[in-house]
Amino acid sequence: MNIQDNYLQNKKNIFFSENKDIQNHRDKLINIFENDKYDKKNNESLRNINLKNFIDFKYKYQIPEETSVINNNQENSYSIVSVNGQCTSFKDDRIEITKILDEDYNDFSKNNTIEKNDHFVNLNSLFLNSGFKIVIKKNNNIKIKISNIVTDDDLTIFQKNNFICEEGSTLNLIEEYENKNNSTSNIINVIKLEKNSIFNHFLIQDNSPNHNLIITSHSSCKKDSTYNQKVYNFSEGYVRNFHYSELIETNSEADLQGIFFLKDNNTSNNKTSVKHLAENCKSNQVYKGILNDRSKATYFSNTHVNEVAQKTEGYQLSKGILLSDNASYFSKPELKIYADDVKCSHGSTIGPIDENAIFYLRSRGMSKIAATKILISSFINEELSSIDDEQMSEIIQKKLVRYLSKVK
Amino acid sequence: MNSETLNTLDTYSKNKYKYGFVTEIDNEKPKKGLNEDTIKFISQKKNEPEWMLDWRLKAYSKWKKMKEPKWANLSFPEIDYQDIYYYSAPKGFEKKPKDLSEVDPKLIETYNKLGIPLEEQKVLAGVAVDVVFDSVSVATTYKGELEKLGIIFCSIGEAIQKHPDLIKKYLGSVIPPGDHSFSALNSAVFTDGSFVYIPKGVKCPMELSTYFRINAENTGQFERTLIIADKGSYVSYLEGCTAPKRDDNQLHAANVELIALEDAEIKYSTVQNWYPGDEDGKGGIYNFVTKRGLCSGRNSKISWTQVETGSAITWKYPSCILKGDNSIGEFYSVAITNNFQQADTGTKMTHIGKNTKSKIISKGISLGKSQNTYRGEVSFLRKADKARNYTQCDSLLVGNQCGAHTVPYIDSKNNTAVIEHEASTSKINEDQLYYCRQRGLSHEEAVSLIVNGFCKQVLQELPMEFAVEAQKLVSISLEGSVG
Repeated sequence: MNIQDNYLQNKKNIFFSENKDIQNHRDKLINIFENDKYDKKNNESLRNINLKNFIDFKYKYQIPEETSVINNNQENSYSIVSVNGQCTSFKDDRIEITKILDEDYNDFSKNNTIEKNDHFVNLNSLFLNSGFKIVIKKNNNIKIKISNIVTDDDLTIFQKNNFICEEGSTLNLIEEYENKNNSTSNIINVIKLEKNSIFNHFLIQDNSPNHNLIITSHSSCKKDSTYNQKVYNFSEGYVRNFHYSELIETNSEADLQGIFFLKDNNTSNNKTSVKHLAENCKSNQVYKGILNDRSKATYFSNTHVNEVAQKTEGYQLSKGILLSDNASYFSKPELKIYADDVKCSHGSTIGPIDENAIFYLRSRGMSKIAATKILISSFINEELSSIDDEQMSEIIQKKLVRYLSKVK
Repeated sequence: MNSETLNTLDTYSKNKYKYGFVTEIDNEKPKKGLNEDTIKFISQKKNEPEWMLDWRLKAYSKWKKMKEPKWANLSFPEIDYQDIYYYSAPKGFEKKPKDLSEVDPKLIETYNKLGIPLEEQKVLAGVAVDVVFDSVSVATTYKGELEKLGIIFCSIGEAIQKHPDLIKKYLGSVIPPGDHSFSALNSAVFTDGSFVYIPKGVKCPMELSTYFRINAENTGQFERTLIIADKGSYVSYLEGCTAPKRDDNQLHAANVELIALEDAEIKYSTVQNWYPGDEDGKGGIYNFVTKRGLCSGRNSKISWTQVETGSAITWKYPSCILKGDNSIGEFYSVAITNNFQQADTGTKMTHIGKNTKSKIISKGISLGKSQNTYRGEVSFLRKADKARNYTQCDSLLVGNQCGAHTVPYIDSKNNTAVIEHEASTSKINEDQLYYCRQRGLSHEEAVSLIVNGFCKQVLQELPMEFAVEAQKLVSISLEGSVG
């Protein structure tokens, strides 16, 4: 079904359809879709994807029957189950969870860091049907685990979440995406870090082949704040990770890391982008990928250093291992620098597993497969050993073992 | 930044373009603007056969439907293609002069000013020169010597007359006229350029060289160079460019095609010093150049070296298509931008054959308010087994109003191919500066030394004749420089 018809038919259960400003914005978006020529070559958001699935989709949404649960089992630790992108409201003296409001929509649409022609971001704005807002109050140290569940087949979730870390707070957030049904989640996370706050964000993605997951995040860091993001993508379905960060005040840091494991016909699109808008900020973008069978991946990384952002340190690294003849990897590490007192670099490598290393291990009596597996594990060891949380480390190890068992 | 640095920066920005003189010479031009008549005029002036005119007209009809490529990180007002003269020749060149005595002495004077060894005694220095003045190839020196070896080195206009078979076979085979709008434009209106054919097994004993100069006002220069290296041959080709100072922007859209057959090697070096515009960004050449080499045979090699210091806008991506097994592509580049110059330059390495190798070394230096972009694509196709690429692009920033950007595209479809890419951006290292100054060098000398060291990896790839010139050019560009 075409996008406009989809929208008009389902307008009732889409958020904020009474708000005039938002309606105006959406009319413009529909116009964009009408005139879009879907230029796969120049539009980064469309590369390598099966367009048909995302243009001619059928909109379907169901308000979850069972209200989502918040479990306060330990003092500073919370578990949240978000069903179909929704979450019940909750409030105590440490955190506050509410629905998203009209103003949050506008807040996002004005943001100019995210590219205007991003097909999926525009779809999300148009069909927004779920989402929540979490505020971590001043000087609290909080752990949260969110399980994202989609209940039925064919659902299309368009979700927008807001995370706000108030001054001096620390948030450790683990998000799990493990869905087995044939559905699509299109999620935008808007993250704001106030002075001196720290946000460690882990995303574990492990969906079945029929589930499409599209995550876009935008974080902005104020003075002395740090945003760390780690993405572990074990999904067998399509995953898109587009993460943008803005360092708007001095001494802030953004660290965007990810590893992905692909096999069969799977595709994954990844992008990280950091905008340095103030002095003395640091950023780090590291993505590593292992591609088997006929899988395809793209990774776009971008460091933008504004004229005023002197003393910037910005690093990028992208590494890919191709295990099969038919896998392909595209990377575009970009540097845009307008200040002179900076240290910026990027490195990018793509290739097979080092034959000399394999030879070394084999000469010590290992089989070729065992040697390959060891070398793959060591390739991403740095990312795995940096996980503090024991429970999480175990989960990821298990998933890695499952992936390696398919490597031949 | 300390006051000394500011002072030296200031001195540098006032540094003048020394090739900015105009030669007063009568020119012959058609009417301004581009239409079929202009193309017919050019074709007729050059006394071209029917098939060449058809080829041009076909390219023109393609061009009419095309838009300029917009992806480069450049901003400039729209080019009015109807406000340009597409042909300009010093008067009296309908018939080519037989030797230097027939050439207008003013022209000779011009080239002497540029320091080009046109006269025979200077030719003994070992450089064979083809000089293109505006649209016409003025003189090709050292021709006889080359003919003995069977090497054809002449203007492309002459080649169309004398070697139609080679032209028909190879012209447009690497850069099809319909590739993009500038290649279509060039194919329609190209006026002159060089043609080189090196026969089987011949190693060209001297450096071949072309000097391009745009003299007339409002003229575009559209040269076309075609170099064919037959099996087992070798040639080294040099190219230099200058233009007078003018307040208007002038257009230069060249196409260069290289073809290396089995075991052949082509080395192509450019020192581009078109007029870059003044301190306020007024005037200067718009340089939209398409250069592409095809390593069609096994074990062939194409190497591009460029030193880009001029032009208001540089849009240039010398690329290699590595089709033959074991073929090698190389790209060495130094790009210096100052004042309001914009450069978007880089390369494209397409690995098709097995065991193909490519190496990219790019050094960008931005000063003043300039923008310097490296844009390069390396792609390994399915059959490029054991292909290898190494890319290094470094940028040096001088002053806080300029920009340095790196935009690599890396695409691998083969799991035995290995690709490595590195890039860094920084300003001149304070420690190095301090070290040099401590040893008694002035600030300027120290900076010049460090920058020359920064570029050395590329400059040493240039042939002797150019290496000296290039090093001077870099020093001049940095005269009174940096911080």
